[in-house]
Amino acid sequence: MGWLFRGTRSTLCSWRRTDCQTLFPIWSRLPQFSLFALARFLYSRLVFPSWNPAQPEISDLVIQHDPKTLERLPVCKSEIRKPFEATTNQKALRVIDQISDRDGFLDPTTVDRLMLTVHWEMQRLAEEFYHGHRVLKLLRATISAMRANGYNGLIRIVDVGCGIGYTIRWLAARSSLPQEGIELTGVDLNSTLIREANRLASVESLPCRFLHGDAFSADLRGQIYISTGVVHHFRGDDLAVFLAHHDADATHAFIHYDFQPWFLAPCGSWFFHIIRMRTPLARHDGVLSAARAHSATTLVSTARAAVFSLSTGIYGAKIWNTPAPRVFHALVGFRRKLIPQLKESLGSMLGELR
Amino acid sequence: MTLLVLFFLASLDGALCGIRASMGRCPLINKRRFYVRAVLRGILAAQIASWLSFFVLLAVYSLAMGKQFVRQDLEAAAGRMLYVFLPYAALVFANLALRLVPSVDLRSATSVVFLGPLTALRPLVMILGIAFGIWRAQLFTTVFLGLFVLSFMLCLEFVLNRYNSRVQQAEIRLLTTDT
Repeated sequence: MGWLFRGTRSTLCSWRRTDCQTLFPIWSRLPQFSLFALARFLYSRLVFPSWNPAQPEISDLVIQHDPKTLERLPVCKSEIRKPFEATTNQKALRVIDQISDRDGFLDPTTVDRLMLTVHWEMQRLAEEFYHGHRVLKLLRATISAMRANGYNGLIRIVDVGCGIGYTIRWLAARSSLPQEGIELTGVDLNSTLIREANRLASVESLPCRFLHGDAFSADLRGQIYISTGVVHHFRGDDLAVFLAHHDADATHAFIHYDFQPWFLAPCGSWFFHIIRMRTPLARHDGVLSAARAHSATTLVSTARAAVFSLSTGIYGAKIWNTPAPRVFHALVGFRRKLIPQLKESLGSMLGELR
Repeated sequence: MTLLVLFFLASLDGALCGIRASMGRCPLINKRRFYVRAVLRGILAAQIASWLSFFVLLAVYSLAMGKQFVRQDLEAAAGRMLYVFLPYAALVFANLALRLVPSVDLRSATSVVFLGPLTALRPLVMILGIAFGIWRAQLFTTVFLGLFVLSFMLCLEFVLNRYNSRVQQAEIRLLTTDT
């Protein structure tokens, strides 16, 4: 975490030196000192260790799959405790300790129950943020642009890392996309969540389906990829690898929603999760997600280096053309011929596409 | 009249507690029936709390010596409570009304900026309202009744949450047992 304090530490040192020379700069340096104090407070290992973006999310660790066979692997409790022991993150350690284990390995049934509880809770956040409406607006514009440019084939929308499939189920229930020949699918590596998504879709007789597997594989691939809160799970080179999968002939567009990082985001996320979420894991990972979210610059530069067949940019960064940032922004990519029509329909919400 | 207004506010609070306690516990898309049941459950819980408080009030009143004085003291305390509860209720309803505007940003903003913090403030508002009502009360009876009502109202959401949590966990257990 040293990177957090490098600037502020030097500020404090220079403030002390200046203080010896003259008394006046004390007042002029007060804002900087306050900033230092705030940074120190917020990122103190003792106070908010779950804000440290160097840590993984607990939900990424408690379920692990074989990357080739997608078979679920046993998870060693002591192994997944290690990153949080290193950051003295007692909250995370408590969450892990509460999961029952057999011979040092997490009990899969307990983990499944926990993940279902968390995903049911997370759906509430999507509902409060009217996420379905937001995605539908972008999808409508994209599909219109595709149709206007002569694409008459089947359009399959794939929700990557769909969890229990809220977005796809919402689109199936609340929009006319299925009646317009749009196929709505969700893909996730977690078979329990996929089973739950399919159960929920069948309970409400929704025209959508959910599949366990790799969203970019030949049999599951689609024309439009969407996701929510997934992109920040890919760190470093993995982000470029994930985005490079979109560089395929079949892909016409992608829309990946994620937290928009700014200095108040972790505070806001912490407060919101304390009020709205009940499961300690959801509270912990929700706050950490806001801290780990990639900046627009990182997303766009990585996308432009990894995806050559699409123009990429950020959608919906600001609220009503004000400087106020939205909680979620979207990394978007479109085939170049779609851009003039998209700019017309989405206006200033759509950032620069290159 | 003051008691009726307080009863109405308690019922509204129960309805909103019912909704809050049930949110995030049903993953369906169409869940109007689920929320209607949650509201009714909240109102029912508020009725139980209100009517129990009312019976305790009646019992205390019937045993009191100077009934006229007790009545005046109770009415004055209840009137003072409204100075806190009514603006809070108005603020909550103003924000709920804002959600009728068809703008996803505005609706989300009411949730994040106002309704969330107002939910967090609810226990404090309860304590402040009751404290403001009873702090100038002349009789110990009024103070006792105020604290009695406060304990009920503070327990309301907790009890509803416990109930909903049990139902949800039973449902999830059933889902994971099948697999």
